[in-house]
Amino acid sequence: MGAHIEAASALTRDGWRKPSARRLADAAARACLAHAGRQPGDVDMLINAGVYREDNMGEPALAALIQEDIGANLGQPPIGEHGTFSFDLINGTCGVISAIRVETGFLRSGVIRLGAIVTSDVEPGLTDRGTAPFRPAGGAMLLGWDDSPAGFTDFHAETFPEYEDLFVSGLAWQERHGRRVSRGESGQSLMVIDAKPGYRERLADCAEEATRRFLSRLGMDIGDIDLLVPAPAVPDFVDPLRVRLGVPGDRVAYVAEDLEKAYTTATVAALQAAVKSGRLAEARSTLMLAAGAGITVTLALYRQTPP
Amino acid sequence: MSEIRGKQPGHWLALESPSSGGSSGCRIESVGVKLPSGRLTTRDLMGRTSHRTRIQLERLTGIHERHVVGPGESSFTLAAGAARDCLAHSQRQASDIEMLINTSITRSKGRSSQSFEPPLSLYVKHAIGASAAVNFDLSNACAGMLTGVFILQDAISRGEISCGMVVSGEYISHLSWNAAKQIRSVFSKQLASLTLGDAGAAVIVERAPEGAAGIDVIGFTTLAEHSRLCLAFPSTVGPGAQMYTKSRTLQKVAIEDMAPLVAEVIGEAGVDLTEIDYLIPHQTSARAIRQGTQAFAERLGAKPKHVVVNLEEYGNTSSTTLFVALHKYLEEQRIRKGDRVMLLALASGIEIGMAIFTIDSQVDHYGRTH
Repeated sequence: MGAHIEAASALTRDGWRKPSARRLADAAARACLAHAGRQPGDVDMLINAGVYREDNMGEPALAALIQEDIGANLGQPPIGEHGTFSFDLINGTCGVISAIRVETGFLRSGVIRLGAIVTSDVEPGLTDRGTAPFRPAGGAMLLGWDDSPAGFTDFHAETFPEYEDLFVSGLAWQERHGRRVSRGESGQSLMVIDAKPGYRERLADCAEEATRRFLSRLGMDIGDIDLLVPAPAVPDFVDPLRVRLGVPGDRVAYVAEDLEKAYTTATVAALQAAVKSGRLAEARSTLMLAAGAGITVTLALYRQTPP
Repeated sequence: MSEIRGKQPGHWLALESPSSGGSSGCRIESVGVKLPSGRLTTRDLMGRTSHRTRIQLERLTGIHERHVVGPGESSFTLAAGAARDCLAHSQRQASDIEMLINTSITRSKGRSSQSFEPPLSLYVKHAIGASAAVNFDLSNACAGMLTGVFILQDAISRGEISCGMVVSGEYISHLSWNAAKQIRSVFSKQLASLTLGDAGAAVIVERAPEGAAGIDVIGFTTLAEHSRLCLAFPSTVGPGAQMYTKSRTLQKVAIEDMAPLVAEVIGEAGVDLTEIDYLIPHQTSARAIRQGTQAFAERLGAKPKHVVVNLEEYGNTSSTTLFVALHKYLEEQRIRKGDRVMLLALASGIEIGMAIFTIDSQVDHYGRTH
C-alpha cells in the first residue's frame, strides 16, 4: 500500500488573453480532478506550490482561493464528513516534491485520503531590465491511498550553501515620479530575479551529486531506475544531467515543447507526460528529481512494486 | 518509512491525535522569541496618520504599544534570532534538527522587501548551523506557525524524523505605516493593519521521551467560502504591503463556525473545555477575543480556566502570536508543569487550527530556573 499518483495535469493557458496564476492553477486542478474521476469535495488537503504571481499577494494562501474557486468543501460539512485544509508551500522548483513528501506523510498516517498539489507561475511584475526565466504554466496532481502496491517510498533533500546566492529573487521597492503616477502613490514593489552565470551548470553538478548519494543510501544504482522525471524540464539541464548520470534518453520523461519552460509546474508536466505515455505504470522504479535555488535538490522514489 | 494508518477521516478538521492513530509521543520541546528593540505606542502611531481619524485604537483593541524593527533588522534577522533563542532554551543542538520550516508571511532579507527564492528557511538553517535539516517555507497567513507544527508532528509521529523546528520572522509593521497614510475612519478596511507589531518566534517539536506529556490533538480546516475577507498585497504608497480586512464579517463567521470545531478538538482529546488551563487564541483585539471565546463557551456550556491576551505589549504579531504568548507565559512561570494548553489559530483563508497539549519539563528551562 502506498501514496500513489491518481492523475497529473499541466497546461499553459487558462482561457484568458493574459494568464493569471490563480486561474492557471484552477484550470489545472479542474482538469486533474476530471481525469481522475474525482469531485472537488473529495480533496482533504490542497497544497499550492507555485511561486510567481501577477499580484504578489501576501495573504491569504493562494491555495485557499483555489479551494474556493474549484468548490472543495467551502464551509461546514455534514456531521461526520471532512473539510479541506489548504496552504501554500514555497520551495521554488523543488516545491512540488516537498509537497508530495508532506501529503504522503498525511496519507500514510490516515489524516487524509486524497491530497491535491497545485502549481502555477506567471510574469510577476519584473523590474524594467529583467525577464522571467520561465513561461506561464499551471499544474495539478492528485495523491491517493489504496491497496495498490504503487507508491512513494523514499525522499531525499540536499542543499548546497556555497551556491545560495547563484539564484536569488525578491521584491524591491522603487520610487515613482512624474505625471503618470496616480495621486497618493509613491512607488511600487517590483520583482528582481538575479541568476548568476554558471547557475545552470552548478544545478546539474548538485543534482548528480545528490542523486548518487540518495541511490547509494537506498542500496540502488542508476541502472535500477526505469524512469527519470526531472525538473526543470529544459533540455539544457536535462540532457547534460542524464548523460552524466548514465540514463538513456528513452528512460527520461520529456515534456511537450510548450511546457519546457514551466517553472514550479515542471515536475507535474513531466509526470503528466509519463502518465500519458503509460511509462509511469510500466516503470518499476521512477526517480523524481528537482533542482533549484539554494541550490536545493529534492528527490523522490516512486515504485510500482514494493522493494 | 514506518506505516501508521489510523482511522479514516470522519472529522471536519484534518486532525491527528492518539485516538486517530497518530500524534502520540510528540511534544513541543522549546519555544524561542526575538523581539526587535524598537517600540511604538498606539498614541504615537495614531499621531502620525495623514488624516485626522478620531479612532480610539487603544480602547478598541487593548493595544498600548508594539515592538517594531530598526535599521538592519528584517524578517530574516527576527527568525534567526528566535531560532537561536529556541535552541538556548532547548536540550537539542542545531545539528539535531531534521526538518526546518519557515512560516512567516513577510520574508524580508537584505534589500529585498519580500524574498521569494531561495526560501527563507534555507538562510535560517545556515545561520543557526542546522545544515542537515530538510527545509522549505510555507505560507498560511497568521496560521503559519501552527500549520508547521502540524506537519512536524505528523512526520515525528510516523517516525520519519525525531526533531524539527518551525520559525517565523514577522517584520510586518510596514503595513501600519502604509495604512496610516490612507486611513480616515474606524470603518476603513485597513483598520486591522494598525494593530500589527513585529516579532520572531520559533518552536522545536520532538519525539517525546517515554511517559512524557505531549500533543494530545492537532487539527486544521480552511473555510474557503470566506477566502477573500482579508487580502494583503504589495503597496503603492510605501515600501512593504497593504492589507484590506472585513474584520466584522470575519469575526462573525469565525464565531459561527468555531463552536463545532472546538467541540471536535476537545472531544478528540477526550477532555472538557473546563479542563483547558490556558486557551491561547490568535491575538487580534482584546474585544474580539472576549466576544469570540464567550460565544463558543456559551454554545458549548463551558469555558477554559484562563484566556491569554497579551495585546497590550505586543499587538498582533501575525503568524507568531500564539508562540510569543506561550513564551511569555513560560518565562513568567504562569504556565506550570501539568497545565493543559490549547492554541487556537484564526487566519485569513479562513484558516482555523487548534492544538491541545500538556506542559511537561519545558518549564524547567524558562523563568527563574533558567
